[in-house]
Amino acid sequence: MTDGSDDEATGAESALRWRIPAGQRLVFEDFDDGIVMFDALVGSTHLVSVTAAETLAIIEATPGLTAGAIYRELLDRIEATEAALPFASIRELLWQLENLNLVAAAAA
Amino acid sequence: MTLGALAADDVARRMAGQGLALRLPPMTVRVRSPLASLAAQVHALYADAEVADASAYADIEVRMLPVRGTRAGGAQVQFVIDGATPFDAFPVAHALPMFEWGLNWVFTHRMNDHLMLHAAVVERDGRAVVMPAWPGSGKSTLSASLMCRGWRLLSDEFGIVSLATMRLRPFVRPVGLKNASIGVMRAYAPDAFIGPTFEGTRKGDVAHLRPSADSVARGADAAEAAAIVFVDFRAGEPVEVQPLGPATTFLKLAGNAFNYEVVGEPGFRAVNALTRRSVACILRYGELADAHAAIDTLLAQGPRA
Repeated sequence: MTDGSDDEATGAESALRWRIPAGQRLVFEDFDDGIVMFDALVGSTHLVSVTAAETLAIIEATPGLTAGAIYRELLDRIEATEAALPFASIRELLWQLENLNLVAAAAA
Repeated sequence: MTLGALAADDVARRMAGQGLALRLPPMTVRVRSPLASLAAQVHALYADAEVADASAYADIEVRMLPVRGTRAGGAQVQFVIDGATPFDAFPVAHALPMFEWGLNWVFTHRMNDHLMLHAAVVERDGRAVVMPAWPGSGKSTLSASLMCRGWRLLSDEFGIVSLATMRLRPFVRPVGLKNASIGVMRAYAPDAFIGPTFEGTRKGDVAHLRPSADSVARGADAAEAAAIVFVDFRAGEPVEVQPLGPATTFLKLAGNAFNYEVVGEPGFRAVNALTRRSVACILRYGELADAHAAIDTLLAQGPRA
């Protein structure tokens, strides 16, 4: 069985390893109506989805994972199906988080 | 000794000489000015404030100095803080509003060991209601009217959150009323002392309501937040209470603070503490009595689970 993650990512992108940037620290507060996250490096606050919070938690706990590995771990953690949470949405999420400097990607 | 215990000419003499030092917790403010009209207004509005010794250390040293008018309209006054003049001069007739606004400005720039919300705060039975709002939303009028019903006023302008205790600290000053709210409060609380109306200031017509003696006397007593009410006055409209979830409350509260980015992570923790211990809503109101009833109902719900 495949989750399609390796097929959908381009060759170069699938080799990228994701980390929390040096000096970055993320603080989460979980509420009934959402998760609030503090970016200690910049001092900004974000309302994040469960998917984004779990993705960040995975990357923080295990630096250097590929997008595919993050995706597989994420499906496991939030008990989602590939149909409900396509790999493409996680790739997009990772780049959005990278735009905010909450994660960084580097070649292995 | 309270300022009201001094004779008016003594207050004017002190202000014109060594300065009048007032304890306005968490600060002591010394003001110097030769303007007799300003001295009389300060005397009336700060009547219940404690006077410090002339030699006492003051956190803020303010001079309200007459200056030659540079525009048509006559004499002007300059707000001088530690020798600097951060603002353009005002007409001398607007010295008191300038003193009040200047003091607010200084205060916001010197309190970065606290999270500073742009909010009115009142307290009753040990439970504080924080009312974050931007100018014109009715927070001063609502907090003043609650004070006139027996609530303790902590501030009509600043929600000062101690980063050490997460409790709200008072900064009890005259309540700044603007435009229509001046008439509303004169009618609502005819026995309350409201100073002269300053017409045509940069913020419209302005008057100041003297805080209750109890509020001033308890000016060093911090309070615990129990409710966060985002006030939105809509003339003539019925009251509407829109409950807010905690994450939404968190973001609105953080966005309301003057210095959230400056304070950094302790500010995040302070907003979190307030959010978790408070019920929260947006309160749209057109009548004070409706707003009072809504706040009573909100507090009856108790703290957030």
